[in-house]
Amino acid sequence: MSEHIVCCHECDELVAIPHPYREGRFKCPQCGSLLFRHKSGMIEKMYALSLSALVLFGATNYFPFLSFEVASNVTEANFFTSVLYLSKDGEYILSLAILMTTIVIPLLRIVLFLALFAPLYYKHIPSYATHTLKILEYSTPWGMLDVFLIGVLVSLVKLVKMGSIIAGTSLWAFGVLVFVIAYMQVTYNPHQIWDLIDNNKGSK
Amino acid sequence: MRAIECNVACCSVCHHIVKMPSKKGIAICPRCKEEVTYRKTNSIQHTWALVIASIVFYIPANMLPMMHVQTFAGTQSDTIISGVIYFLHSGSYLIASVIFIASIIVPITKLMILIYLLISLQIKNTKNKIKKKKLYALTELIGKWSMVDVYVVAIMIALVHFGGLSEIKAGQGANYFLLVVILTMLAAIRFDVRLIWDIKEDNAT
Repeated sequence: MSEHIVCCHECDELVAIPHPYREGRFKCPQCGSLLFRHKSGMIEKMYALSLSALVLFGATNYFPFLSFEVASNVTEANFFTSVLYLSKDGEYILSLAILMTTIVIPLLRIVLFLALFAPLYYKHIPSYATHTLKILEYSTPWGMLDVFLIGVLVSLVKLVKMGSIIAGTSLWAFGVLVFVIAYMQVTYNPHQIWDLIDNNKGSK
Repeated sequence: MRAIECNVACCSVCHHIVKMPSKKGIAICPRCKEEVTYRKTNSIQHTWALVIASIVFYIPANMLPMMHVQTFAGTQSDTIISGVIYFLHSGSYLIASVIFIASIIVPITKLMILIYLLISLQIKNTKNKIKKKKLYALTELIGKWSMVDVYVVAIMIALVHFGGLSEIKAGQGANYFLLVVILTMLAAIRFDVRLIWDIKEDNAT
């Protein structure tokens, strides 16, 4: 049994962890922060989750999540309409920020996860793995679909008084999507993939 | 044993442990080809700058209206606070508290925590390291939740556009508020928690 040395990001402590890893969480002995989680079947789970996230993302964007009716005028909103109307009003900064945080970055992350884990599932390490892992690392805090869901719920309650409001199909898909993404975030363990890349380099 | 004492540093992207050439060196991570330094460079200065900028933007974000509601009865403009008060009066306490927490408590807490951490670093306060670490984790966790109000404005605009009947337009406050959220998130990213644990060594030498 060998040992792997891991560095804690919070307090810079070097921690020796016996390898192969046991299941579960590893904590830093100095400051108690989470070093990483090790779960078997991470690749299979991530492959399945990213596929379902992609399908749900498609459904969420295709159907309107809210429709609103005042005096027989009906409007519908999906992700893109809020971007569209904001840019029509000349609010380019706002519409760009919403486009990035609710469409571009979440979609990019889902696609990258899929592009990374599909080949890994078939025991092949893609050549772009390093870049993909880097982008995933940097984009982590900027995907804000979960916040957007709360925003939708708040505006739903706000608008109830102004007219009749109907929650659309995609609101349900969206709710599930948020949970799938949260579950992906918990399951995802980049350490394991970096180790795979290392081993692969070593064997060549 | 800490990494900095062994002349190694941890790559911020792939967490590879990299041997550093000198005490104040920069190395290239052999695994992911990213630049590696012991600590984030000029972390304290950058965090201060971003914190101050977000405080400055927080003032117009609260003074200027977030959105204008135009109906045939006239135009009504709502700032963050007046929106909260409106919901309190109309009895939607849940919505009022969501907006209040997301747009007022979260940004202020974030800024207060960062200022506290920065000052305690600069006066070399060594107490409560675990607590400080937890406070920092909190700022990272709550960071993006203040976007709720911006999203609410965006969704309302997308839904309510009935020509002269009723229409909602975004106010200047929303832009500033967006900047506050982005700047505070950047400030939290720029801050280096490991500095909290470095102070002890400074006192010993």
